[in-house]
Amino acid sequence: MATSKVEGSSSLRHAFGGVLSVFILLLIGVVAFSIRLFSVIKYESVIHEFDPYFNYRVTQFLSKNGIYDFWNWFDDRTWYPLGRVIGGTVYPGLTLTAGTMWKLANSLNIPLSVETVCVFTAPIFSAFAAWATYLLTKEVKGPGAGITAAAILAMVPSYISRSVAGSYDNEAVAIFALIFTFYLYIKTLNTGSLFYATLNSLAYFYMVCSWGGYTFIINLIPMHVLLCIVTGRYSSRLYIAYAPLVVLGTLLAALVPVVGFNAVMTSEHFGSFLVFIIIHVVALVYYIKGILTPRLFKVATTLVLTVGIAVCAVVVAILVALVASSPTKGWSGRSLSLLDPTYASKYIPIIASVSEHQPPTWPSYFMDINVLAFLVPAGIVACFLPLSDASSFAVLYLVTSVYFSGVMVRLMLVLAPAACIMSGIALSEAFGVLTRSMKFHITKYFECSHTEAPAKLGESTSTESSAPLENMTKSDTTEKPEVARKEKVARRKQKKEKELTENAHVKPVSAKKEKRPLVLPLEASIVSVFLLIVLGGLYVLHCVWAAAEAYSAPSIVLTSHSHDGLHVFDDFREAYAWLRHNTEVDDKVASWWDYGYQTTAMANRTVIVDNNTWNNTHIATVGTAMSSPEKAAWEIFNSLDVKYVLVVFGGLVGYPSDDINKFLWMVRIGGGVFPHIKEADYLKDGQYRVDAQATHTMLNCLMYKLSYYRFVETDGKGFDRVRRYEIGKKHFKLTHFEEVFTTHHWMVRIYKLKPQKNRIRGKSRKSKLGSKSTSSKSGGMTHKNPWN
Amino acid sequence: MAKGTNDAQLLVQSLRKAYAATPTSLKIIDLYVVYAVATALIQVAYMAMVGSFPFNSFLSGVLSCVGTAVLAVCLRIQVNKDNKEFKDLPPERAFADFVLCNLVLHLVIMNFLG
Repeated sequence: MATSKVEGSSSLRHAFGGVLSVFILLLIGVVAFSIRLFSVIKYESVIHEFDPYFNYRVTQFLSKNGIYDFWNWFDDRTWYPLGRVIGGTVYPGLTLTAGTMWKLANSLNIPLSVETVCVFTAPIFSAFAAWATYLLTKEVKGPGAGITAAAILAMVPSYISRSVAGSYDNEAVAIFALIFTFYLYIKTLNTGSLFYATLNSLAYFYMVCSWGGYTFIINLIPMHVLLCIVTGRYSSRLYIAYAPLVVLGTLLAALVPVVGFNAVMTSEHFGSFLVFIIIHVVALVYYIKGILTPRLFKVATTLVLTVGIAVCAVVVAILVALVASSPTKGWSGRSLSLLDPTYASKYIPIIASVSEHQPPTWPSYFMDINVLAFLVPAGIVACFLPLSDASSFAVLYLVTSVYFSGVMVRLMLVLAPAACIMSGIALSEAFGVLTRSMKFHITKYFECSHTEAPAKLGESTSTESSAPLENMTKSDTTEKPEVARKEKVARRKQKKEKELTENAHVKPVSAKKEKRPLVLPLEASIVSVFLLIVLGGLYVLHCVWAAAEAYSAPSIVLTSHSHDGLHVFDDFREAYAWLRHNTEVDDKVASWWDYGYQTTAMANRTVIVDNNTWNNTHIATVGTAMSSPEKAAWEIFNSLDVKYVLVVFGGLVGYPSDDINKFLWMVRIGGGVFPHIKEADYLKDGQYRVDAQATHTMLNCLMYKLSYYRFVETDGKGFDRVRRYEIGKKHFKLTHFEEVFTTHHWMVRIYKLKPQKNRIRGKSRKSKLGSKSTSSKSGGMTHKNPWN
Repeated sequence: MAKGTNDAQLLVQSLRKAYAATPTSLKIIDLYVVYAVATALIQVAYMAMVGSFPFNSFLSGVLSCVGTAVLAVCLRIQVNKDNKEFKDLPPERAFADFVLCNLVLHLVIMNFLG
C-alpha cells in the first residue's frame, strides 16, 4: 500500500510538474516576445537598419505578386545597369516565412499589414527559439536544465541584438532553425528513430533556406560524429542519426537556388562527405568484428590495412590536387576569412570594411552574454559527469562557437545558444545539489525533532514514510532501513559537517547506488541559493537594460536628449520621401552602398550599388567617382546614367557614421580596382584630415565638396562637430552638380548632375581643339573613358 | 606467404559461413542495398561516358540510389534481432519510418530531377 500511495503521489507530482513546466514555458515565450518590443515602444513600429529594408521589399513583392513571380524575379532597380537576380541570390526562408504568416493572418480576416508582420517576425521566432532550447537541453541533461536554459536564452542580449522587433533579418528565423535542427539531431541520436532523422533533414532544409550560416551545422555535425567514433562511442544510433541527414540534407540544400550545386562542389561541404565515407567504413568494421572470431578479425584488419592504405593515399592525392588547383582551395571568401582572419583584409577589402566582421573586444563578451561567461565553464564540467553523446555534442558546439565568435563579432550570435545551454545545465545542477542538501537537512531536522526514527544518512531525501523519492534512492528504500538505522542511531548526535566522512562508512551498505550524492551544510546551501538567485536577478537586470538602451535603436531614426528635451532626427526618411515625391520614377540615384537597400525600399528609385556588395568593380567605380575631382566624377556618373547623388553628412549635428568618416574605405576599394586612386594622396603625413592641413586631392574630391558645400553658412566658421575642427576649404562653388535638397539637420544632402553644356566658349574650346586633333568630335566636351 | 593465403582463405570461408547464418529477411534487405549501390555505380559510369550535363539530374539520380541504400541499411539495423539497442522497437514501426523517409527522399528527387 505504501508503495502504491508513494507511486500515486509521485505520478501526481509528475503531472503537477508537467503542468507547471508548460505554464513556465508559456511565460518564457511571453518574456522573449516582450523584451524585444522596446524599440516599438520608444520609437515606432518601423524596420531597422539597412538589410531588413531589402528583406521587407522582397516580402512586399512576394505578397503582391505571388511565389512564382518571386522565384523568377529579376530586379532591375538595383545595381544599375547590371540588375540582380533576386530569386537566385536571396535566402528565401525569412521572406517565405513572413509571407506565409501574412497570408495566414489575412485569410483569417485579421488585417495585418506586411510591415507589421515583418516587424514582429523576429520576436515571435525568438519565443520559438526559447522553446527549442528547452527541448534541446532536455535531451542533453533533463527538463530542469531545459527550463533554465530556455529562460536564459529568452533574454540573452546577444540574441536580442539581432532579433528586436523591427530587425527583420535572416538571423531572426535562422537561430530558431539552428537550435531546432540540433534538437532533432540529438533526439535522433538518443532514440535511434528514423522518423526523427527525417524531421532532422527537413529542419536542416529550413535552416539552409534561411541563412548562410548553415555551413556551421553541416560541419559541426560531422565533427561530432568523428569525435564519437574516435572516442569509441560508435553505435548504430549514430549511423541512423548521420547517414540519412547527409544524403537528404545535401539534396535539400541543392534545392535552394542560392546554394545550388555548391552543396556538392564547395569545400564547405566536403567534411560531411568525408565523414560519411568514414562512418560507413567504421560500420562495416564493427559488423565484421561482430561476426568473426578475434583472431580472424586481426587477419582481416592486416589484409585490409595494407590494401586500403594504398587506395586511400591515391584517392586523397587526387582530391588534394583538385582542391589545391583552385586559388581559394574551394572555399568561399567569407568562409575563408573565418578560418584565416587575416584573409579578408589582404584580399577582399569589402568584407574587411564591414564593422560586423571585425573581431570582438573583451567587453563585448560581457555585454553580450554577461553572467553566462562565468557559468559556461561550470556547465562544461557538468557535461562531463556523466559524458553522453548529447553532452559531448553540447561541449563541441560551445568550443567551436567560442572560436568563431572570437573571429567575427557577428558570430557571437551563434555562441549565444551554446552559452545558454551550458549555463542552464550548470545552474540546474547547482540548484539540484543545493536544494537537495537543504531538503535533506530540513527533513533530518524535522525527523530528529519529531520522532526518534532517524533519517537516512548519505541519501538525499528519502525517509520511508513521506519524503519524495529522488531517483537514486528508489532502489534502496526496501533494503537499507535495518542496517542503516542502527548506524544512524549511533551517529545522530554528531555534527552535520561530519556526515560526508560518515558516508564512507555507510558506503558498503550503499554500494548498490551508482553515485554518492553530495550534501552540503545547511547554512552554505541557503546562502548559495540566495546568491544564485541574486546572480540571476543581476542577469535579468542587465538583459533588460541592454535591450532597452543598447539594442533598440532603429538607426533610421536617431534621438538625442538635451537640456531642452528630446530631439528626434528623422532626416533619412525625410530625404527618401523627398526623392520619392520629387523625382521621376526612372531616375537613378548614386550613393555609397550602405544606403542602397533603404533607397530602393523607401524612395523607390533605382540605385547603382547596394548592400549586397556582390560586384566589387561596380562599387569601386562609385568609390572612384566619390574620390575624384568634380569633372571626372561627373563623367563617371554620367556614363552610369545617374541623375542624383546622395551623401550623408554628420558634421552639423555630430552624427559619427557619415560618409566623410567612411571615405577612406571608398578610396581603398576604388584604388583596389582603379590604380590612379592612391590612398596616400588623401592623407597628410599618414593622417586623415579635412581641415586646412589636408592635401589638395582631399580638398578637391567630390565627397568633400558635396559634404561641405555651403557648410560655412551655418555657423560662419565651418566647425565640423564630428571631426572637431574647422574645415579646410570653406568657400567654393560647385561646377558640375547643383544642390537640390538638404534635410533639416543637414544629415542627408542630395545633388543633381548638371546637364552638360551645349557649347564651350572661349579659352577651353581653343585648347581642346589644339590638343585633340585626332579624336573625332563635333563640339562639346569629349567623354574620357575612366576605364582606360 | 602460404600462411598468408591460408589465412585469407580461412577468413573468406568464415565470413561466408557467418553470413549464411543471418536470417532471410536481412539477406533480402542486403540484396536491395547491393542493387541500389550497383545502380548508382552504373549511373556514374554513364556520366563518365556521356558527360555531366544536366548536372542536377545526375546528382538526383545518384543521390536517390545512395539514399535508398542508406535508408535500407538503417531499416536493417532496426529490424535486426541481434541488435540490443532496438529490441523494444516493433518492426512495423521501423518499416513505417523507412517508408516515410523514402517518401520524403523521392519527393525531393522528383523535384530536383528537372
